[in-house]
Amino acid sequence: MDRRKEAQMRRRRQMVAVLLFAAAATVALVAAASGTAGGRHSSAGVTGPSGWVGSGGTTIGSGGGYGESYTAPSPTLQHALFQANLLPSNKTARDISLAAYGRSTKTVNYTLALQCWKNNGCSTGTGGKYTVAYVEGFGENTYRQMSKMEFILDALTYPSIGKIIYRSAHSDLNQAIADFKSMIAQHVSAIVTYPDFGDAMLPVFQQATKAGIPVSTYAWGYVTGPGTNYTTVVGEDTCKLGKAFAGVMNTQVKSGNIAFLGGFPGNPLSTSWQKCEQAALNPNIKVVANEPTNWDPSKVQGIVSGILAKTPDLAGLSYEDALFMSQGGYAAYQAANIPYQGVFTYRTDEANMGCLADKLKDPKLKIYYYSAGNAQIRVALTADMMKLQGAKIPPTIVFPIQLQQQSKRSMCLKGYPPTASGTSLIPLSLLHKMYP
Amino acid sequence: MLALLVIAAIFAPDALGHTSWSYVLPYATVLAIASLGQMLVVLQGGIDLSTPGVISAAGNLIAGIGAGANHNLPAAILVALGVGVLVGLVNGILVGVMRLNPLIVTLAVGQIVLAWSSKYSRDVVTNRPDVPAGLAHWATAKPLGISSVFWMGLAITIVVALVLRYTVTGRRFLAVGANPRGAWIAGLNVRTNVVLAYTAAGTLYAVGGVLLAGVRISIDPAFGSGYLLAPIAAVVIAGASLSGGLASATSTWVAALALTLLTQMLVIMGLSTAMQYIVFGIAIIAGMVVSGDRIAAALAWTTRLVTPPAHEAGTG
Repeated sequence: MDRRKEAQMRRRRQMVAVLLFAAAATVALVAAASGTAGGRHSSAGVTGPSGWVGSGGTTIGSGGGYGESYTAPSPTLQHALFQANLLPSNKTARDISLAAYGRSTKTVNYTLALQCWKNNGCSTGTGGKYTVAYVEGFGENTYRQMSKMEFILDALTYPSIGKIIYRSAHSDLNQAIADFKSMIAQHVSAIVTYPDFGDAMLPVFQQATKAGIPVSTYAWGYVTGPGTNYTTVVGEDTCKLGKAFAGVMNTQVKSGNIAFLGGFPGNPLSTSWQKCEQAALNPNIKVVANEPTNWDPSKVQGIVSGILAKTPDLAGLSYEDALFMSQGGYAAYQAANIPYQGVFTYRTDEANMGCLADKLKDPKLKIYYYSAGNAQIRVALTADMMKLQGAKIPPTIVFPIQLQQQSKRSMCLKGYPPTASGTSLIPLSLLHKMYP
Repeated sequence: MLALLVIAAIFAPDALGHTSWSYVLPYATVLAIASLGQMLVVLQGGIDLSTPGVISAAGNLIAGIGAGANHNLPAAILVALGVGVLVGLVNGILVGVMRLNPLIVTLAVGQIVLAWSSKYSRDVVTNRPDVPAGLAHWATAKPLGISSVFWMGLAITIVVALVLRYTVTGRRFLAVGANPRGAWIAGLNVRTNVVLAYTAAGTLYAVGGVLLAGVRISIDPAFGSGYLLAPIAAVVIAGASLSGGLASATSTWVAALALTLLTQMLVIMGLSTAMQYIVFGIAIIAGMVVSGDRIAAALAWTTRLVTPPAHEAGTG
């Protein structure tokens, strides 16, 4: 009898201990969450330019039409494109780009922008007749979240836009199609999207186009038939990106083993540059692996580790995402106890990779990169808005490629969150409010 | 596992090299610890789909509260483990006391935790994704040439196995899992054991999350998302029945190691993505077919064929 009582008491004591531990964790969680929310109220009523304006410099471009001015400050263009003259060669495409980047000088309400970003949409308060939507297939990483803010900032420069909508399908194709159909059913005025599922989105693109809704994609989110099945695709020529990567490998690696990493299997972005890089490599360079990573740093670590196991003398690696290589990729090298050296070509320019390279200070670590291109979403929205005003939009808006060398122009920009791209046009003060 | 090692030695010898093990062992350990948690729940006839949520929350809290400073690490680890206990306790109460369907309840709780973790990651961790250097250094250290994460995992596995096998609480826990009605008739508290299973599982997921954070060095919003089905696969391959009953911590560990090695082997073999999925799927089915009790049953059947039972031998 006593033993049973003792056992009961012991169980109670154990349960009380577990409950106390859980309660302490709850308190800590609430404290952590409230700490997060602490800085939110300080931004009330703050306004500023919708994009990076910089100081000095000249104004590039001239003329205007369809409610737009085809001019932009040169510091803005340099910030987003590395050089002010790296604009599309097609005149209309160039005008649309200048109009979008030029809108960075217009004043917007940062408090509203932040609320809109946090709440995944908002009413702009202008009473404008247009509703614009950003429909995402993937959604929640920093790159896409920053693109969302760029979209909101550009939209807030249009008094005619009364409502902004954001939808994310979290990598679920059925959800992405449902989101798109929902936008068509709501008769939104314009849609901007990153079609993570490629041509699987074609039927809904065509449906929206038939319904008179302009649809544009950014960051070379390529779906078949721009100009007919949808309005336009904005981005760099990914085949030229692959050729630029090959140019670096041919001159820096010269001969040896390299590897390709891509995103989701078969996605058009990875497939395009990989095909063109492979074709342009000199015969002494061998591509020993070509692996999809689903743009998941955990997967990157496993795959890089596998490649290193097979090819410990890996001389180079090409991939879209500099951030994931600074996370999963670096961790794989660390775990394998192999020096983080070689020639790396990336499409994006997240600060974390630049800061890691600056910290390592290894001359044998050679990094070349392009731009994440978050600001391209502004060009896509402006193209849609001009289409609504009756402008003829070219089917592709293509930016020239110029790779940057980390040792000469570091990605590690002062004040930028580690996971953010330095070529984004989001004003730094607002970026700090997004990621306090 | 032996068959896999032989196949790897023939078709992908690099998978058995030092560089490969430096990845396989820490990741297999994290999967093994998550699988041990899942095993405790499966032993009680339940299932737990909150694993990715807890691992994600634990990792993000390590980076968020740790804030890159070693002196914050103890608090970060305590809060991360506390979240695991809390989530497990909630799951346990909802399933064990309120008798709700474990599949739906743990999925729902897991989604809530994952959503919170995703928001916390976006709000706090984006700006400081690196885990404190102390944890990262510990995770990359290799006492006796083997990852310290592996040694930690091994110690946890031994403790779980010993507790289940040699303590009164462990034996009662196994008895309740094997036959809840019988255990209830014998005076054992079935509900308490179910709550205990989910709470212990939540704690183990959090431990896995902390170790994974050390291995990964920095945290991203997708952290932990790959741990929904892999722990269940490991438990089932290890011979456990999803309807409850007996399971082995050692077999679960070996199954987790086999799954991780297989993944790495397929990458090293350079198979196309489609082919990797096909081979992985076939390997899981093959693992289930040849696992534990089936081999024992097949051996028993063969033995019966060779040596007929005495009462049959004496007839006719």
